[in-house]
Amino acid sequence: MNFALSDDHQVLQQSARTFVEKEISLGRVLVPGATVADADYAGNWAKIAAMGWPGLVIEEAHGGSGLSCIDLAMVLGEMGRSLAPSPFLGTLFGTWAIQKGGSAAQQARVLPDVAAGKARLALAIAESNGTTDAPGREAVAVRSAGGWRLTGVKSFVIDAASADWLVVAAQDGGQRAFYLVDARQDAVRVDALPWRDVTREVCDVRFKDAVAEPLTADDATLWPWLRDRILFALAVESAAGTQRVLEMTTDYAKERTAFGRPIGAYQAIKHGLADMLGLSECANTAMLYAAWALSEDNARGPVAAAMAKAYCCDAYVSAAHRSIQIFGAIGFTWEMKNHLYYKRARANAELFGGARVHRARVIDMVTKKAA
Amino acid sequence: MDFELPGEDHPKRQAVRSWFEANPHPSGADLARAGYVVPHWPRPWGLAADPELQLIIDEEMKRAGVTAPRNPVAINNCAQSLLTHGSEAQRQKFLPSALSGESVWCMLFSEPSGGSDLGALRTTARREGDHYVVKGHKIWTSLAHEAKVGVLVARTQPDLPKHQGLSQFLVDMDSPGVSVRPIIDMSGHENEYNEVFLDEVRVPADRLLGKEGEGWALSMIQLQTERVALSKPGAIWGSGPSARDLVEGLAETGALADAALRDEAAEIYVEGEILRLLAYRALSDRMNARTPGPEGAIRKMLAAPHGQRVLDLAKRAQGARGLIAGEQPFPTQLSGDGPFDDWDYAFWFSPAVTLGVGTQEILKNVVAERVLGMPRELDPTAREPWSETRRKGG
Ligand SMILES: Cc1cc2nc3c(=O)[nH]c(=O)nc-3n(C[C@H](O)[C@H](O)[C@H](O)COP(=O)(O)OP(=O)(O)OC[C@H]3O[C@@H](n4cnc5c(N)ncnc54)[C@H](O)[C@@H]3O)c2cc1C
Repeated sequence: MNFALSDDHQVLQQSARTFVEKEISLGRVLVPGATVADADYAGNWAKIAAMGWPGLVIEEAHGGSGLSCIDLAMVLGEMGRSLAPSPFLGTLFGTWAIQKGGSAAQQARVLPDVAAGKARLALAIAESNGTTDAPGREAVAVRSAGGWRLTGVKSFVIDAASADWLVVAAQDGGQRAFYLVDARQDAVRVDALPWRDVTREVCDVRFKDAVAEPLTADDATLWPWLRDRILFALAVESAAGTQRVLEMTTDYAKERTAFGRPIGAYQAIKHGLADMLGLSECANTAMLYAAWALSEDNARGPVAAAMAKAYCCDAYVSAAHRSIQIFGAIGFTWEMKNHLYYKRARANAELFGGARVHRARVIDMVTKKAA
Repeated sequence: MDFELPGEDHPKRQAVRSWFEANPHPSGADLARAGYVVPHWPRPWGLAADPELQLIIDEEMKRAGVTAPRNPVAINNCAQSLLTHGSEAQRQKFLPSALSGESVWCMLFSEPSGGSDLGALRTTARREGDHYVVKGHKIWTSLAHEAKVGVLVARTQPDLPKHQGLSQFLVDMDSPGVSVRPIIDMSGHENEYNEVFLDEVRVPADRLLGKEGEGWALSMIQLQTERVALSKPGAIWGSGPSARDLVEGLAETGALADAALRDEAAEIYVEGEILRLLAYRALSDRMNARTPGPEGAIRKMLAAPHGQRVLDLAKRAQGARGLIAGEQPFPTQLSGDGPFDDWDYAFWFSPAVTLGVGTQEILKNVVAERVLGMPRELDPTAREPWSETRRKGG
């Protein structure tokens, strides 16, 4: 029992922070009207790949570093903290899917390229109403003589436009299964959505008789495991973003003056910041607990991940909104980062199920009903 | 980083369990001598226990059906100051009976003129030979009606600025000139707190705790020690129902079928689990013998309103029946035997948890100022001699 981060974890976090602060800039998305096309996804990816981060959770046998969810949280947190635009998250989700669900051959085909920064991935699971519940209706897999083909549409696919490979959830005879799909084939069309969070590429993907290859794990084996990690990853970004928003706002409240005193001297501001600190402390604790539980394959992992997603994303929305208020009108402009944090917070809160959905799951799990 | 709590087979558990098997009905003095009352203190009073051992002792005590001595002012707040600022004679005289619970303590801090602005207090202690003579009026003093010892903050140097002229004393509550009058709180409970009148009370000079002028610093440490000690997940300063109890109760009555209530219950549950983890982190800090810092104020700032939410949702789930005095929300009652293990009483008491031991507003000031570095509140009386402020009517 020891609730503190080890020295190694702190060193990893610090080195990630130093790198991100030096190498990744949001300058181009802070130009009014910018879209994700201005976010330098490809340039940032090249730098991140050079750090070896795409291989963080990939086994050493496939050229990765085989690190745990706690280690991942240190690095992913820094990207969340800085909103670093890159296809890291989509690639991570795809990596996890192939790690847990792919055959040895599929893993050997894809993961070494990911670890080397040569291939990017995305996970296509949500329907057009945002749900990730099985079996899904909008994409269908059909087996023909020449193998499997996918037809239909998947929505809210993070980093699809950057991806070389997609892992796609599609329906086959009323069951959901996962397929590995070459994203570069003509039968796959990717349309970037006019997504409000311009630091992230979110897309619709259409399939028309696209060649696909099923992963070996079935839905019941793959999805719960993958879902917990996805929820955790969004919580990591959100907890780190909450802390960053608190820091920015704290600094501003010390500098900005009104009526002859720093605005932080007024209790409405002061107490708002104290509340944000409470949110940030709690978010960080919930996230670390989930990191630990998933790293250890602890039985509390699913509850911990659902709690972390529900709590951290709500906290992030609340803190980011508060920060706009505390900055005043300048915080409402496109040139400031406040709106980017607020948009990321809102996006993270909705993707893969809102807080209510996961709170309901928490109650189900702790009152011992089916998860 | 490791969130695993000590398991059934933890090597430290066996010794503790054996002790409780050999001593199935220990007195408070037995527990104190074994170091189980303040295990995190250094020997001989405690066991210099790390957080794991502290948790194990808590669990084994519960398992054995043994209740720890109840003397919160001494055990949670003030007695620790005797280790750091007291004389050896004071430790020998006061600690054994405090830790065994035989001698209940109370905190003579707040006054009718104000609790938040503690530094402005008016009770005086003037030196006369080998005694101090104390004159003043304290209020909201929990436990004063049964206390043998009062930890008093009084003004020894009225001509210094308000925070500098204060000193602390360990006062015998049966001294001539001390009178205690109960105050009935809104729950109807007669024994929650009291007024204490101090009329020319003669306190021997060797009852001064620390040095003259250290009263403010000691009081702040003691209040923050309390903030650490109290911020466990129970709804009333760590005691009483927790969010886990709430969800169990709501599941039992079927109230969770209501989607809106269920979501609220889930939100409170999640918050409760997080606060539990934060409390463990506080235990770790205490193990590292760190003086409790303002982080404790963060936890209390979160825990107090959380507790109110736990009790509020249980009460609302009762509907109109919740207004019937003594009516419990759930068929199964809490297993503890403390006063706050009664859901109805705990609810009607709960407005107090954002008042006592520093109001929510003061806590937020402390958190914003000490942790986030926001500018301090203006206090036009902070620098002038206190006697000057008083003369002007402050
Ligand atoms: C159940 C209970 C038990 C208690 N037990 C004890 C005890 O054993 N010993 C003891 O000494 N005291 C005890 N107290 C008293 C407690 O410490 C005081 O109530 C508390 O410090 C507040 O003081 P006050 O009640 O005089 O309120 P005030 O200080 O008069 O405050 C009134 C209101 O003004 C707000 N306020 C004051 N200053 C500021 C500021 N700078 N910024 C913003 N808001 C401000 C407060 O938050 C509060 O809402 C107890 C109180 C309760 C409710």
